[in-house]
Amino acid sequence: MKNFMKNLASPEKIQQKILMCCHCDEFVFKAVYDEKSDPDHHKPFCCMGCLTVYQILSQKGLEDYYDIKNRTGIYRRRSPVEIQSLQYLFINDIAFMNEYSYLDANQYRTMEFYLEGIHCLGCLWLIEKFPSLVENVISAKLDLKKSIVKVTISKEGSFSTVAQEFNQLGYKPHPLKKNQDGEHLKTREERQFLLRIGIAAAGANNVMLYAISLYAGADGFFASIFNSLTVIFAIPVFSYCAFPFYKNAWQSLKNKNFSIDMPIAVSLLIGIAHGMFNYFTGIHENYFDSLTTLVFLLLLSRYFLKKIQENALSFQDLHFFYLGESLLRATDKTLLNFEEVHPKYITVNDCIKISSGNFIPADGKIIKGTTHVNTSLLTGESIPQEVGPHDSVFAGTQNISSEIIMQALKIKNETRLGMILNNVENGQKIKAPVVELTDKVSKYFILTVFGLALGLFCYHAFHGNLIHAVEQSLILLIVTCPCALALSVPLTFTRSLTKAAEHGIIIKSDIVLQKITKIKNIFLDKTGTITHGKLSVNSMCLPKNNTPIKKIFDVIVSLESDSKHPTAKALVEYATIKGGVKNEVTHHLEIPGVGVSGKINHQFYEINKHGVFENAEHIAKFNFIDDIRNDSKNTIQFLLSHNLKVHMLSGDNKSVVLDVAKKVNISPSQSYSELSPEEKNVLISKTPHSMMVGDGANDAIALANSHVGVAVLGAMDISLKAADVYLTTPGLSSVAKLITLSKETMKIIHRNLFLSLIYNSISVYLALRGWISPWAAAIIMPLSSLTVFLSSLYGTKKLRNLWK
Amino acid sequence: MEIIALLLPLAILLGLLFIGGFIWMAYHGQYDDLETPKYKMLIDANQKKIKKNHLSKKDVRDE
Repeated sequence: MKNFMKNLASPEKIQQKILMCCHCDEFVFKAVYDEKSDPDHHKPFCCMGCLTVYQILSQKGLEDYYDIKNRTGIYRRRSPVEIQSLQYLFINDIAFMNEYSYLDANQYRTMEFYLEGIHCLGCLWLIEKFPSLVENVISAKLDLKKSIVKVTISKEGSFSTVAQEFNQLGYKPHPLKKNQDGEHLKTREERQFLLRIGIAAAGANNVMLYAISLYAGADGFFASIFNSLTVIFAIPVFSYCAFPFYKNAWQSLKNKNFSIDMPIAVSLLIGIAHGMFNYFTGIHENYFDSLTTLVFLLLLSRYFLKKIQENALSFQDLHFFYLGESLLRATDKTLLNFEEVHPKYITVNDCIKISSGNFIPADGKIIKGTTHVNTSLLTGESIPQEVGPHDSVFAGTQNISSEIIMQALKIKNETRLGMILNNVENGQKIKAPVVELTDKVSKYFILTVFGLALGLFCYHAFHGNLIHAVEQSLILLIVTCPCALALSVPLTFTRSLTKAAEHGIIIKSDIVLQKITKIKNIFLDKTGTITHGKLSVNSMCLPKNNTPIKKIFDVIVSLESDSKHPTAKALVEYATIKGGVKNEVTHHLEIPGVGVSGKINHQFYEINKHGVFENAEHIAKFNFIDDIRNDSKNTIQFLLSHNLKVHMLSGDNKSVVLDVAKKVNISPSQSYSELSPEEKNVLISKTPHSMMVGDGANDAIALANSHVGVAVLGAMDISLKAADVYLTTPGLSSVAKLITLSKETMKIIHRNLFLSLIYNSISVYLALRGWISPWAAAIIMPLSSLTVFLSSLYGTKKLRNLWK
Repeated sequence: MEIIALLLPLAILLGLLFIGGFIWMAYHGQYDDLETPKYKMLIDANQKKIKKNHLSKKDVRDE
């Protein structure tokens, strides 16, 4: 919620400085307006896509979307709307429907879509209006956090109409395949967990209520009533709620290893036996109040940790988008007629039309068209490749300039990407398990406590009081229950993981933090990690001295604005910052692979790979580079100062790599160039205690096999799946944060370990002297839990500074 | 102290009622999505009605 409030940007305030798109809240460089309803230009839009959605919404009487959005703030950033007129007819295909949706008893069909572009509460409102917007839609429920909408339609309805409507409103729908049994099981487990917590809370509170009356001195008839009630309320807590502890303890016993659940289960079982024995022999003394509260607190802390880890995992469940978009497949040899298909149904030799901006779904060769493909995700090369007819293209690369038609030659698992995927899955399976710190501690804990109990038993037995000996040693086992210890670890991790997530570091598991403290080598990918992964203008030179610079910028903005070519984009960005303005162009012509030309003010201009030409005279030349991120150098300095070895990996050629290495202070002997994904993997696998930071599919195998894998912003889904940590803020500075975070978190955990052991020593001492009683336990146990809770909350100084 | 004879069963009954309600709600999906509902309260219910006839499937396509 805190994070959410931070994003509350008041629209008026921002509009004074910079124009913001009324629809998507992005900065506006070149505003478009709705001339009909807004002649005074009060509402700027960043692109036609956003404007179109605005017009559709106002036609439908849904302008309230904007009220809600502006009043409640932005939930997350989104990008401008790209409207593609897609029919999504393949969704209505029976085979597809059966696989992606399910029927309920009323003959209603439910399908889930991931919606790209959900970004504010207005979106939530709009999506949930669907039953009144589209005919035959029964319900539409949006999970804001996951951007997943569950749509139920009646028998007459059609999902393609729903998908079209989503598309029209600016959300790109991706049907999600549902593993229904798996989902069902997960929901059931989740509900069970909540029930356990709820019932434990109710039981523990009632037990406490009657136990306090007993401590306060209730006697006679009331004492026996109250005592019976504590027993009755404790039964469901000990049986149903505490079941997971027994199960875990049994499992580790079977696997012959130690876990923190073992001493807990032992304490619980002995506590129950002791209490029941006392109850039936008429002694009003048991430890049920402390033990039920313990069950409740432990369940709660584990629930929080589970939740935060699930959130992190849901990032990787986003499936493979580039395989989820609908495609156009040629229906005949003429390559003129196309039908829409889901990528699943692409077969070998199909001819597919791929428009610019889309991912290529299969390995194959180009039949028609010339374009540039961005292969950086697959190979790590930073400069887009120009490809034409008969050239090979690979699945997972992105078409970035113009439309092509390609023939699929290898599909799914046979593609290069598919093989990397398989490798990733295998890599994850063989990752060595890490023993959790608490489990390690619990081994010594169990041995010590049992030793003490045995000693105590022998001592009393030696003095001739066998019953007293049994009772005292049992009580020792009950009160030394490592509750604070078991509680503190999930609490501390939950806090660290939550804080990290708020600052854009998504960590999949608590064990990762434990592993990071042991890291000695850090491998950084070059493209997209140390550098921006996209081109920008490095320098400009003017062969002809007398040309006014302003004119050159104007020409660039005028001619190249609509081009999707990467160098054109870099040029336009550069020229816009330098103040270039758009002028009217006649005879505008763009030839893919060659350049653009046109007439401005009766002068003929041309821009190609050599630079800008005025009436065939060379007037400007540009130098492009893949720029190094601002924070790369500082972060690498930080890592080096922490005695970590920093290496750089790249698929790029040697000169580029060495140049970057020099700029960021990585020694040339630790910079590796021209590596294939497999070579990266080998390098990392043979270096122990390694952390890999990367983004593309070319890093995925290495991410999966490294000790700790970190995927950076913009990474492909596949690397998300392979990585342990995902950074949602650009740049390397989060890596430095991550290292500090893990070190400090482990410090807190050690401190908590120490604190809880002090409390345990106190109760052991009391038990040894025979001074312990149920009410003493009822004070010590919550007190120790409270102490570790406060200690986790307090954190450390460095940690507090980190989140400032 | 006789009042306890009345209050005790009442208190227990009340407690059981709440537990029962909790179980019932958990099994009817009330707690399945704990994130979205908290934001829903920020959206007013009394927004103006959408003109439904304007919104049929056919109209949308014609636009």
